[in-house]
This record gives sequence, structure tokens and C-alpha cells, in this order.
Amino acid sequence: MSILLKSAKILSPGSPHHNQKLNVFISDSGVIKSIGSTEPKATKVIESKNLMVSMGWFDMRANFNDPGYEHKEDLNSGLKAAAAGGFTSVVLLPNTNPCIETKNDVGYLMSKNQNSVTQIYPLGAVTKGCKGEDFTEILDMHAAGAVAFTDGENPIWNTDILLKTLQYLQKFDGLLMNRPEDTYLTAFGTMNEGITSTLLGLKGMPGLAEEIMVNRDIELLKYAGGRIHFSNISTAHALRQIVKAKKKGLNVTCDVAAHNLIFDDSVLSDYDTNYKVNPPLRNKRDVAALEKGLNSMNIDVIVTAHSPQDEESKKLEFDHADFGMLGLQTFFPTVLQKLNGMDISTLVEKFTTNPRKILKFPIPKIAEGEHADLTIFDPDVSWKYDAKSNYSKSSNSPMLGQTLTGKVLGVVNNGKSHFNSFV
Amino acid sequence: MTQLSVPHLLGTQDLTLDDFNLIFETADNFKEIINRPIKKVPSLRDITIANIFFENSTRTRISFELAEKRLSADTINFSSSQSSVKKGETLLDTVNNILAMKVDMIVMRHASPGAPHFLSKHIDANIINAGDGTHEHPTQALLDSYSIRGKHNSFEGLKVAIIGDILHSRVALSNIFALKRLGAEVMVCGPNTLLPKFIGSLGVKVELDVFKALQWCDVANVLRIQLERQQIKYFPSLREYSLYYGINKSMLDRLDKEITIMHPGPINRGVELNSDVADSEHSIILDQVENGVAIRMAVLYLLAGARPEA
Repeated sequence: MSILLKSAKILSPGSPHHNQKLNVFISDSGVIKSIGSTEPKATKVIESKNLMVSMGWFDMRANFNDPGYEHKEDLNSGLKAAAAGGFTSVVLLPNTNPCIETKNDVGYLMSKNQNSVTQIYPLGAVTKGCKGEDFTEILDMHAAGAVAFTDGENPIWNTDILLKTLQYLQKFDGLLMNRPEDTYLTAFGTMNEGITSTLLGLKGMPGLAEEIMVNRDIELLKYAGGRIHFSNISTAHALRQIVKAKKKGLNVTCDVAAHNLIFDDSVLSDYDTNYKVNPPLRNKRDVAALEKGLNSMNIDVIVTAHSPQDEESKKLEFDHADFGMLGLQTFFPTVLQKLNGMDISTLVEKFTTNPRKILKFPIPKIAEGEHADLTIFDPDVSWKYDAKSNYSKSSNSPMLGQTLTGKVLGVVNNGKSHFNSFV
Repeated sequence: MTQLSVPHLLGTQDLTLDDFNLIFETADNFKEIINRPIKKVPSLRDITIANIFFENSTRTRISFELAEKRLSADTINFSSSQSSVKKGETLLDTVNNILAMKVDMIVMRHASPGAPHFLSKHIDANIINAGDGTHEHPTQALLDSYSIRGKHNSFEGLKVAIIGDILHSRVALSNIFALKRLGAEVMVCGPNTLLPKFIGSLGVKVELDVFKALQWCDVANVLRIQLERQQIKYFPSLREYSLYYGINKSMLDRLDKEITIMHPGPINRGVELNSDVADSEHSIILDQVENGVAIRMAVLYLLAGARPEA
């Protein structure tokens, strides 16, 4: 199918077309044939008032729950939700059952890629079962295609394991990703520790638990060398420490989940389990600091932290409910709320160029003759996020049922395309 | 005003000053009635109430049941010390099964904070929270403040110290909300590990020394050490706790004033409260128990009166 994007604003910093409104023509085989004012005949013509196109979006943190929890999500439903959310690449966490801890596991996740517009990039577990005790075969998984290493949702609590992983990964300049949390300080916790948790009688998870671990990991990095990426930063002080480490020239990067940018813990006041996430939604000061970090480029990447949970895991008493929120399809409307005068192409870099650079991926170009890896969107179009437009198997999003502003119109990648038909 | 501002009693956090006064005045009437030779009134005839207790309880359950019977309601009791989740049935299923038998009101105790709030969003019976984990226990706070009102008449300028395990106590939180709304000054006192870090933001004083708390207050509401609700260790031993946080007669004698001693029960005698204090003339612990029935009658009556078909 050939595609013509009519008068699309091209977001591609560094390219001569950047910020220009041009027609983009993509051939049947998925190659960008022409960029200019001509209007070649195409099978599909995309028009929208404020049409924009950027390189394909890249999510650095998602769960598809496959294998093991396919009733919540599987590779097929996850890929559909990713494409609908504008992502041509998703990096999947190893917290499946079994965990992604062998080259076969890595191969299974990548088995769908050939026929899919969205490509899956697996993360390998650092320890068996992501339990933090015994090493996995990291080199073997790397050879099979694992793009970085992490215990995913489980923080690496064993200091020695973290140290040795940092050392071991240096053979191929590999990246360690860690979600910082001191699990002793958060034991039995269900939400951010603060005024709201006190009012609700819920056991809090102090921001301190994250900050202590950021500090620990930075010290280990100074000692061992290597590269570390902090996943799901949620507090002001954690971010401050990362900024300091960056200034010292350490190889540190970080991401923040989209929902941590727009919600603070006051939304939990009626025990809505859809807001139960880990790291928890923090207080207003933390949210403001994250927003500032976004503007000042201190936060490298925004992730969806897509975490599907079925009704049986969420329609429960608050402390019994599982952590997690859907993120893929609500990502764009969510991050748009944090634009605040920032140039939209600067925002988009945080889920296009930056994660690719951190993972040492080639950066796709929007130029004639290049393979199209594109996301097509209109920030001004509204759409209804409901059971019909939600492609995930789960529905654990507080935004379900709402009309959201900022619509992904479609994606093109791998010689294939997907266009959203819902309104 | 003859109606509460809320359809459920989930917490004292939600009650207005008018609600408190209405409940207290209604309880005054019922207290008079339950001291008559014929203690029963027909107010809740044809109303069926389910007492659902997912945590052990003796006094609260009996107090509710007695209140319901005095009001001529039909009652059924469901107790399970295990949470329903462990049995494989969800809370919602358990309650819906009971409601399918045409129950009008639910009195529920549950180990999870917010469990009655969760329920209120999914079912249409009136719900009374009889304690939700470490969150609220509104009828206890109502009977506590009603008992204080009985003894001191007014809350204006009254100083109430809540002493003990504040972190795991639903009684503390409900009392703080109630007493602040009623105009009293509130202090919490206990080992720092048993005080929520942000408790000061609720407008209460924080004191780590129990004698200083006793010197400050007019009323000391002494809480039970909730060992069963502590999932990890918060203090070294009961022995040390009783030595440094327990209240005995000689401490009260050293004060230059008389203070009122309260306890929501059951008392760990010799731990947080010595018998020479619990059984002394300072103590209004048994008044609390008597008032509990009147307060619960008032709450049941007022909530049932607000039912659409009533």
C-alpha cells in the first residue's frame, strides 16, 4: 500500500525538512520516495489540519505479560496497542513467567517482529527469575538480541550483584537499567508516603526509598564504571542526584513514566486502584520537579511503563490490588499536557532519538530513499478512549471513557503500516 | 437538621459539625430508652442488616448487634477471620451474595483500608464502616467523643491526648478527624516508630514522652498495642513499651490536675494501662461501652431514615 501524507509538518531536527509542511510519499515497499510539494497518486492519503510526522516512536519500558500472564496482555494485543499508541519500537521488560532469562526467551519475544509494524526489543533479566540472587547468561542473551539488562519491575537489591553486572556488561558496553527502590523501606506499601496516605490509612512508600538507591547505584557506577539507566524516576531528589552525576561526567541516563508527570497522589483520595502504580504517584512538588526536568533536558526519556492488569487484579480492596497502569495508547495525550511552551519536536525527542541513542540504535532519517520508520499524528485532534478503541486485553486506565486530545493517526515501519480508524 | 449529609458512614473525615450534633442528640434519646425497663423500639422494623466481619471482633460486633436488636431490625452475622480473597472469593462477590438475600444495610469490618469505600462504589446498600484496617473506625470515634461530651460538656479548648500505636490505629485517625471538627485540641503520643511521619499535617501536636502528654491533656485516650496489625517490628519488646509508655496510677498522682482516662478496649492490662488506672475513678472506659450502643443505634437509625424507600 502506498501512502501520501498531505502537507505534513516534518519533525526531524538536523534534517533540511525540519519543521516544514511538505507532502511525504511512501511506496508499497515502505520506502520514502519523495518529500516535497508534488502529490503522487497513493492508495492511502492522510490529511489532517495539524498533521505532523516524526521518526517512529520508541517506548523504552513496557510489559506485554507474555509468556505467563497472557490473560492480561499477549504479544499480539500488546503490539496492536503499541501501534495504535504510535510506537514502532517497544522495549519489553523481562518480568514474564518464566522471566526473559535465556536466549530462547529472547528469541520468543522477537519472533513476531517479521510480520509486525511495531518491533519488539527484549530486555534480558540480570538474575534468574528476576529474584536478584543468581546471574543469568547475559552474553548469550546479548548475542540473541537482548538490548539491555535489568530485573525490570524488581529493583536489584543485592549491591554485589549490581556491582558485578556493571563490570560484566562492559565487555560490550552494555546498559544496565535499574528501577531504584529500597524494598525494605517500601515493604507492604501501597502508595506514596505523605499527607494523602496518612488520611487514607494506607501504608506509604517514602520517596527516600528511591533516593537512597539512586545514590547507591551512582556510587557503584563511580567504582565499577559502565553505564546505568535509571527507570521510572519519580522524586525531585532522585532527579537532583542524577543531574549531579551527569554533570560529573558519569554515564547516567534516566526516564520517567508519562503518568508520573501528570498525576500526583491526591488522585488516590477515593482508593481508585487504577492509580496504584510503582513507583507511586508522588506529591505535587515532585511532579513539578519532574516537569522542570523535562524542560531542562535532565530527563532523557519518557516511557509508557505500560502495565496491563486484568479486572481480577484491580477490582479489589486497594491493598490487595496489583500495581500498574496501561500506558501505550494514552501516552501521547498524556505527554502533550506537559508541553508547556516546549517545542513539540523537543518533546518528541524524548521518545524517539534519546532512547535510541541510549540503547545505541541507529537513528531513522526522514529523507528520500530511506526506509520509512514514521509516526503520524495530530496534536489537536480529540478521540474517545473507550472499550472500542482500547486494544489492550486489560482496561486498567483511569483515562478509559474519556475524550483525549492528541491523536496518533498511524505508524509506518518494517514495510508495513497501521492506521487508527477509531474517532 | 434531621438527616445526615452522607448516605454511608465510612469515616468521621466525611462528617460535618451538624452531623456530629445530630448523631449526639439522637444518641441522647436512645441512651434514655435503653435505660428503660422496655428497651426496644420499632424504628427499624423490616430493615435487614448484615454484620460482616472479616476481622475478629467481639465488642464492636456485639455492640452493633445489640443496637440493631434494640431498634427491631432483622440481623444476620457473617464472620470470617480470613479475608475473603484468601478463600478464593472476592469481597464484592461475598457482599453481593449477601445482598441478594435482600439486605438493606451492611456493617463491615475489614483489614483493608478503603474496603467500605470500594464497596460503596459497587453496591447500593447503606454501609457502616466498623473498622477498615489502619484507616477509620468512625463509630468508635463517635462514641469516644460522645463520652467526652458527657464528661466535659464542651469541646472548646479541651485537650485530648491519644497515646499509643497511632500508626496502626484506625481509632486514632477517626478520633483526630472527629475531635478537630468538634473544636478540641489533639495531641498524639507514642514511640516515634508508631507515629505516621505526616501525622503533624493533620493539625495535631506530636509528643514522644508519655508523662508530658499526660501533663498537657484533659483527656487521655489510650490505645491498644496492635501487635496483630504490625507486619514488621516497630519497638523492641512489650516489656520496654510498658515501662516507657505504659500508664500507671503513680503517674496520674504526680499530675497537678485530674484527667479523664479512656480506652477503646480490649485493654492489654499491664502493657499500655495498669489496672490501678483502668479501674480508677479517672476511667470512663465502661461509659464508653454503654455509649457505644446508643451511638450505634443513632447512626443506624439516621442512615436507615435516609433510605429512599423509607
